[in-house]
Amino acid sequence: MDATILPEVTAAGVIIKAILILAVISAIAGFGTYIERKVLAFMQRRLGPQHVGPYGLLQLAADGIKLFTKEDIIPQHANKIIFMIAPIITAATAFIALAAVPVFPDFTIPFVDVYVPSIASDVNVGILFVLGMMAAGLYGPLLAGMAQSNKWGIIGSARTAVQFLSYEVVTGLSLLAPIMMVGSLSFVDFNNYQSDGTWLVVYQPVAFILFLIAGYAETNRTPFDLLEHEAEIVSGYVTEYSGMRWGMFFIGEYANMITIGVIASVVFLGGYNDFWIFPGWLMILGKIAFSFFFMLWVRAAWPHVRPDQLMWLCWKVLMPLAVINVVITGIVMMIG
Amino acid sequence: MEAIAFYVFAISTVILFGITALSKNVLYAMTSLAAGMVMISGFFFLLGADFLGVVQLIVYVGAVMALYSFAMMFFDATKDIKEKHGNPALVFLLGGLMALVFVVIFSAPIIGENMEALYPIVDGVGNAQAVGMVLFTKYLVPFEVAAIMLLVAMIAGIILAGKKMDKSLTTTVIEENPEDEILKESR
Amino acid sequence: MGLEQFKNRNVGTQNYVKLDLPHPPKNGWCAFKQVLSRSLKPELFVGLWVALREMINALFRGQMHTTQYPLEKLPISPRYRAIHEMLRLLESGHYRCIGCGLCEKICIANCITMDTRYDENQRKEVSEYTINFGRCIFCGYCAEVCPELAIVHGGRYETASEQRASFSLFEDMLTPIDKLNLQQEYQGFGAISPNADENIKKTPLAY
Repeated sequence: MDATILPEVTAAGVIIKAILILAVISAIAGFGTYIERKVLAFMQRRLGPQHVGPYGLLQLAADGIKLFTKEDIIPQHANKIIFMIAPIITAATAFIALAAVPVFPDFTIPFVDVYVPSIASDVNVGILFVLGMMAAGLYGPLLAGMAQSNKWGIIGSARTAVQFLSYEVVTGLSLLAPIMMVGSLSFVDFNNYQSDGTWLVVYQPVAFILFLIAGYAETNRTPFDLLEHEAEIVSGYVTEYSGMRWGMFFIGEYANMITIGVIASVVFLGGYNDFWIFPGWLMILGKIAFSFFFMLWVRAAWPHVRPDQLMWLCWKVLMPLAVINVVITGIVMMIG
Repeated sequence: MEAIAFYVFAISTVILFGITALSKNVLYAMTSLAAGMVMISGFFFLLGADFLGVVQLIVYVGAVMALYSFAMMFFDATKDIKEKHGNPALVFLLGGLMALVFVVIFSAPIIGENMEALYPIVDGVGNAQAVGMVLFTKYLVPFEVAAIMLLVAMIAGIILAGKKMDKSLTTTVIEENPEDEILKESR
Repeated sequence: MGLEQFKNRNVGTQNYVKLDLPHPPKNGWCAFKQVLSRSLKPELFVGLWVALREMINALFRGQMHTTQYPLEKLPISPRYRAIHEMLRLLESGHYRCIGCGLCEKICIANCITMDTRYDENQRKEVSEYTINFGRCIFCGYCAEVCPELAIVHGGRYETASEQRASFSLFEDMLTPIDKLNLQQEYQGFGAISPNADENIKKTPLAY
């Protein structure tokens, strides 16, 4: 399909790419908290953070300093090892998932002549790998809630399990229809499939909506933020956490938000193809940024659902819809 | 490079499953079981079977383990479990025999040197396609039988749990709406 | 008209309007129809639009609600009774307090301390006047009893300070002489009525 021969991917390139992802995404994830506070504030006609630095831009640094210097409390009756591991699982899996996602355009470092690929590890089942890794990331909340010997934590982790079992089916089934159309599980193939300018969302609007809903459940964004809903279960699985361990949960969550944004834009919204006069990198950045903004927008606008409503929605509405969508897609592909 | 990765995965898998078997703490056992599953999926990636590795990740690490942990939530995860050892010698003997039998069963083809890959990796065909071809040609009947078995299990589960499914848990419909007497009088 | 309406403690029951809420769905088909109508109605998008509209209002039409408190303050009612102020006479600029000691006497929290002496013109002057704001309960008796409207409650509500002395001295509560034109007259009990000038009559006992 693509006639241009890419340079060989070396180990050095992959390592540089990994460091790049770690540095940039964790910075963006931290910056995401600032964006979230600012956008939510604007939507409620408030000002948001604005005293640290110009327009409060350095709030990120202030929060970071606070998180790093805060006392790291481990409750007395908690299971200490698991309690300490749990946030690392969340953050680590979020970044491992990003390894198979095309994040930045590929480039070659000029003087040392090291080719840095667009995807750190181009497994040919990229989408499944990302979904699997994000599913594994659920162990963070699950173990955190169970290890801290706190009732809110237990409720939070029970909700994690419930939510996970509900949306995982929908995520897989909703992505199945576009996968059938493209005939591949690789992000690159998805991108190339849409290089003629027709986005997959045109053919698969139902799958797109289903994937968005399931993705919001996957990242614990607002309509489905049952795990740590402050009004109901204090803070859920993060009740006993403080300092950097708490921060790691949130870096993981924001990295997952970016991952969902990348998947949505590559699979459904045309990927990093050029569009009209805009170059590809600008398009993908714009799409990811809009998907991030949409998550905040939804959080400002919509109330959240109860756990039983989420299960009801996923099992009784979304899953049949997804199955019907897959069947119809199959029939159309057979006929066409 | 591959050898290093293999030994890292192998040692960590053995250690993790060892913890699973030996630990008295539910949380440790569960966590190490999940981590061990991740390590096993590492083997698949090493062998170039990306699809199977990912399936291992999604199915075992994701769905099955979440069910396990959901069940374990009903225990007090912070306490150690006291196991009952009625007759340790018998347990040891039976366990040892079982292990020996398994070792013999699985090492017999290696000793006989007649182990070969039935479906070697074909160039130009992706992992998912290869699995699909085998699944829908040679193993079609077991595949369908497994599907029917899952369906049976699902129906059974629904019947077991479904006695009160027509009643909603949350939106309790009050049968009679006893109106406030004052309200009634005021009308 | 008897006492019945006072005996009915169910306040407001008569005026309640019963909302025409739909009943919860009775069977599966009704529930399905409800779900269908709810999901096909664009209510969710109305919610999205409202959030975006508020954002546009806030950002581009200057309808931001935030009061940046230490920098800007909302106006408070002139009847608000916070930290005391000692007023001056508008014409001469001399403080109004005549040292009568009534406020000290009436203070139920015993927080006012004053001392007086004769100045060089043999007039009574206040030599020392402090209010212990650690004890003051802001009952307002001092302002009420003051015959000269000298001590009033002002609008300074930030009662947190590093030390009590910051606002308990007479000089601190006194209107600064250069801000005399900004001095607000206390509008509470005992204040001069707005048409005080018209009400002044010649004393009939004038010789």
